[in-house]
Amino acid sequence: MSAILLIVVPLLAAFISIMFKKAAPYILLLVSFASVVSLNYMPLEVITIGGFTAPWGINLVLDSYSVIGLYVVNSLFFLVISLNTVKFKKISTILLVSLAGLNGLLLTGDLFNLFVFIEVSGIAAYLITTTNKEPLATFNYLVAGTVGSSLYLLGLIMLYAMFGTLNMTDMAVRITASGASASQVAFPFLLMFIGFGVEAKLLPFNSWAKGILATSNKLSGPMIASVYAAAIGFAFGRLLTSVFVFSNTLLLVVTILVILSIVAGEAMAFGASKTREILLFSSIAQAGLVVLVFLQGYIGWGVFLIIANAAGKLILFVINNHAVDELKTDDVEDLKGLFVNNKVVGVAFTVASLSAMGMPLFLGFVVKMNVLGMMFEEGNLLMPAIILITSVVEGIYFTRLLVKLWYKEDNLPKVEYDFTLKYVVIVVAMLLMAFGMYTAPIENQANDLGPVTFIERGIL
Amino acid sequence: MLQYAAIVLIMLGFYGLLTQRNIIKIIISLNILELGANLFIVSVGYVTGGIAPIFTSVNSSSHLLFVDPLPQALVLTAIVIGVGTTALGLALAKNIYQKYGTFEIDEMGEE
Repeated sequence: MSAILLIVVPLLAAFISIMFKKAAPYILLLVSFASVVSLNYMPLEVITIGGFTAPWGINLVLDSYSVIGLYVVNSLFFLVISLNTVKFKKISTILLVSLAGLNGLLLTGDLFNLFVFIEVSGIAAYLITTTNKEPLATFNYLVAGTVGSSLYLLGLIMLYAMFGTLNMTDMAVRITASGASASQVAFPFLLMFIGFGVEAKLLPFNSWAKGILATSNKLSGPMIASVYAAAIGFAFGRLLTSVFVFSNTLLLVVTILVILSIVAGEAMAFGASKTREILLFSSIAQAGLVVLVFLQGYIGWGVFLIIANAAGKLILFVINNHAVDELKTDDVEDLKGLFVNNKVVGVAFTVASLSAMGMPLFLGFVVKMNVLGMMFEEGNLLMPAIILITSVVEGIYFTRLLVKLWYKEDNLPKVEYDFTLKYVVIVVAMLLMAFGMYTAPIENQANDLGPVTFIERGIL
Repeated sequence: MLQYAAIVLIMLGFYGLLTQRNIIKIIISLNILELGANLFIVSVGYVTGGIAPIFTSVNSSSHLLFVDPLPQALVLTAIVIGVGTTALGLALAKNIYQKYGTFEIDEMGEE
């Protein structure tokens, strides 16, 4: 089975679902589930499209890096839509398009094709956020996203004019072979970095995130903060580790931007009084941390950091936004004591937030621990210090939130969680715990993931 | 020369995005920005005196001077995507007008 089906089938299903509107939600569920299952039957390979071999034609790369990304994104996508099929029937077609876009984002080995998939998944994302009923926030997202991808395109064209290729692997090879100095490629790289920074919620470019996630509902919250964040993280990681050559001053500039993103994100989460704002600012900080880990070249751990964040944010946003939808308020004070009558859900929420803080026994801890260890080994002391300090801040505000939500008082908020939701969050929470304790497979996998696993097969 | 025109258009688009507070004007600025980017892409493939890269009975030799066809193909894709985004932006503008009764962001009373 060829990996191209992961893009083609959702697109075809999207067309079919327009004709059979009533069946659309079931088509969506079926296609999404089939994507997860069919991944098992796809061999790792480089797929040539249209018969033109790699540097000239577009190729899709299914290697050990993108296959992890596909598993994670498709499974999370399936979980999110399985919780929302009844309520959001109308946008089933859009969700199918977004599935195709996200799979393409992870699979493609071509820089221009990547731009196309950013736009496809981006347009689907704008439409998903219209369910928030805040058209102005969606409009801001659209403007930011379009400007970002235009900048990415500009940077890409400059690279094409300089090196004459659009293939990721070929680009990396030619940049190295040409001996271009860091200052020559700095401008296009920076433009592309900004373009991705918009989508990945990095600090100066993320003004859209507050409008979108602070008004998010049960579908758009987990979708943007978990599924999209994971997909963009994987694509960004591939660029940062396999295509871009950041060095010297450029690396310093980019690193400072990312660190600023982490520090400011945690600080704003600390100051926020609404649950959705706490979660959204913490996901900005986490996005910064992911990019920082990739910039340092720890590919395997970057991957597992994305997984830990995406799984955690899925639980947090699903539980929180369900309560917010029912109570029509997201003030922490109004949600006080939410988990007293909803213990199962509360436990899952607690597990996810403890993992985000980096407490032992959970996946987040394993990742942070190993990243810090590797940084110390390299004699790098500044970054571990920043990560540790921000983790403490994170610990404080998450603990404060948890205490409030578990606090028993007379006037408890009445929120009912259905069985599917409980089941999903508990399963994901158990996975976070299981891999937090049984770390051997993760450590093996993380150390195996190299930067350029597809180069040798890719271009020739 | 064409590249300078493209850069001027991109800068103009940015200026519009940063200064205008009207939804429709923002969409127009976005279009100018995209137009500049597209012009820049075409200019990359431009060759002085080059002809269209198509083999015909008149131009049957590969030694003729062709322009680079790839940027033209890329621009086609970029234009299509730009149209999609503009259409979506205008649809959102309609929703915004229905909700607030104005296109001026300053008059909407919220961020």
